[in-house]
Amino acid sequence: MTAAQAQQAFSIHPSAEEALDGLHAQVWRAHAWARASLHTVATGEALLDAQLPGGGWPVGALTELLQEAGVHNEWRLLLPALAQHGSGPVVLVGPPHPPFAPALLAQGLQSQRLLCLCPGAFAMDTARKATPLAPASCLWATEQALRCAAVDTVVAWLAQVRPHELRRLQLAAAEHHKLLFVVRSLQAQHEASPAVLRLKLSLNDQSHVCVEVLKRRGPPVADLVQWAARPAALQQLLAAHGAPERPPLAQMPPARQMRQRP
Amino acid sequence: MSAHWIALRLGDTAPTTAPVPSDPLAALAWRVLQVTPWVAQVDDALVFDISASERLFGGRAALLEHLGLSGAHTGAVYWAQGATSLLALGRLAGVPPGTCTPFPPRGPDMVPEIAADALPLHALTSARPHLPTLARLGCHTWGQLRALPRGGLARRFGADVLAALDQAYGLRPDIYPWIRVPEVFDAPLELAAQVESAPALLFGARRLLAQLLAWLRARQLGVQRLELRWELDARRGNAQHLDAHHQGSDHGRLELHTAQATQDMRHLERLLGEQLARVRLPAPVLYLRLRSLATQALPTESQSLLPDSVRSGDSLHQMLERVSARCGAAQVLCAQVYADHRPERMQQWQTWSGAPAPVQPHRKPAAADSAADASGALYPTWLLATPQRLLSQRSGPQFHGPLTLLVGPRRLEAGWLDGESSVLRDYFVARSARHGLLWIYRQRLGSGDPDGTQDWYLHGYFA
Repeated sequence: MTAAQAQQAFSIHPSAEEALDGLHAQVWRAHAWARASLHTVATGEALLDAQLPGGGWPVGALTELLQEAGVHNEWRLLLPALAQHGSGPVVLVGPPHPPFAPALLAQGLQSQRLLCLCPGAFAMDTARKATPLAPASCLWATEQALRCAAVDTVVAWLAQVRPHELRRLQLAAAEHHKLLFVVRSLQAQHEASPAVLRLKLSLNDQSHVCVEVLKRRGPPVADLVQWAARPAALQQLLAAHGAPERPPLAQMPPARQMRQRP
Repeated sequence: MSAHWIALRLGDTAPTTAPVPSDPLAALAWRVLQVTPWVAQVDDALVFDISASERLFGGRAALLEHLGLSGAHTGAVYWAQGATSLLALGRLAGVPPGTCTPFPPRGPDMVPEIAADALPLHALTSARPHLPTLARLGCHTWGQLRALPRGGLARRFGADVLAALDQAYGLRPDIYPWIRVPEVFDAPLELAAQVESAPALLFGARRLLAQLLAWLRARQLGVQRLELRWELDARRGNAQHLDAHHQGSDHGRLELHTAQATQDMRHLERLLGEQLARVRLPAPVLYLRLRSLATQALPTESQSLLPDSVRSGDSLHQMLERVSARCGAAQVLCAQVYADHRPERMQQWQTWSGAPAPVQPHRKPAAADSAADASGALYPTWLLATPQRLLSQRSGPQFHGPLTLLVGPRRLEAGWLDGESSVLRDYFVARSARHGLLWIYRQRLGSGDPDGTQDWYLHGYFA
């Protein structure tokens, strides 16, 4: 038996490996991430999907988004999934600004689906002053929304939240099988968190979204995922006005550079 | 068909955590009204004739079973039956208290029936005043009383004894003031002790709610609006107390609203609990009163053959009502989109009310297919409630550092019909290093600014 023959004999054929995967679905191999029957919703961006276990946002689990304090870029990241997942209400708990319904509608999220709880930070007209609520009330409202059968998705902006409170939300999301996002400020980066997925959001010099996966069920991720994350019409408008839209070469590995969106 | 009467009497309530209706006998009567219209209260017992309904419910045993299951009284209910109402009552009263038969009946031989002639005389209500005299006559049972000469009996003890005896033996018809379910629920409750704090009123209110449930079930209704009133102790000086619940008189009130008619008392209890938590009582309370203000016929649920995938959890209405009861109505908002050119008038976040939001006059709601409008994608996803004025230098507007203008100007001139809310603006898409793309505008000259300078405002974030 030659060396080449031996190598052929012991290497596993790709299709055989797939079959093995099917047989031993319960066996987790250290180089792979946990895949065990995760129900996910695609993020709308293939680059990001490739980095997330199950290929999307986990349903029935807590996803944490960390951003610089005062900066809120979460819509670009979440909108495709929110528009696509279910047809029930999308409950926003404590949003920092009023969401602009016509813009969300144009990106697929119907305004009838939007519900705002505890919008303490903004009052739309001066006649009705909504005073900011205590953090405990926002938490309570978040949990109530998670326990509601009709609701599909909950996005909560929680400024001060402790790990055991997050754990409670995580359990409620798991019990009632809801898509739950908690948006926090970057100061929480080094705190312990029961979230299944933790992402850090930032912007590059093109104002593209850069996502760093801080925690996931799987091996750690070294590099950033970045893409424009804008509606096509806006992207075209920016291009027409000569805004430079070249990909930042320095930070992109070559394989991903090929898949960069135009 | 001969009549068949059943008599029911309430026993002692067992100590349970479930709330007891404030008037258990009326609640029981409303339950019985589901099977027969001939229900009456005699002394402390209920009598009703089921002979006319037996066929509908598939026999006497099935009817009794239906009655026993259709609602839960927490305490024991004793029962007896007979061909006439007084016979059934006599059998109920004739046995010693310990040996009554509990309802619902179990097993085929339901009640050991005492013959009418053998019933003791104290079981006949109208003979009770004359018991000592009758005992001296040697007369102890109904049979012995009936054997006496009728004329002498009527002269000696009055006509009503004879009439009752005739009615018991079926010689006179059973006619009573029949119980009807009232059109409007209105039940008072005297509290066992003075209540000083509003949340403690919930314990009394739970009994009223249990009574309400019996009423709603009897009328097959769901409740939409409820009023709870409480009377303040008149001895305290409370006439001057004014707040949301007290209008200076000696009583206070609060109203509960539900978006959908409901029979779910647990939901009402939670709503009431949240409302009562915010009430301050100026004086102790001794009386409560619950009244239904609006009700609606409740469609019964159809039962599916196939198990459908029901999602666990509360309904949306219940969840939102609970949040607005606890946090205030201003904390639950939904969006209404309008057709307008001014961004701040293109949407309105208004308090959720359950019904479709009322459209404001002079404002046209946007058509549902405006998603196809490509310009929507050019709007920012966050729109500031009030535009934020930016610091402007010679190099241009500043917001956490200098801004680079990328797209623009896009001229907006609208609202001139509305007079003071007319806008003259040039919108730009600008880039900030920290915040990404921003939507800013420049107030145009001639827009009524006194000093004539150009002001930059931040209006939204392309988040």
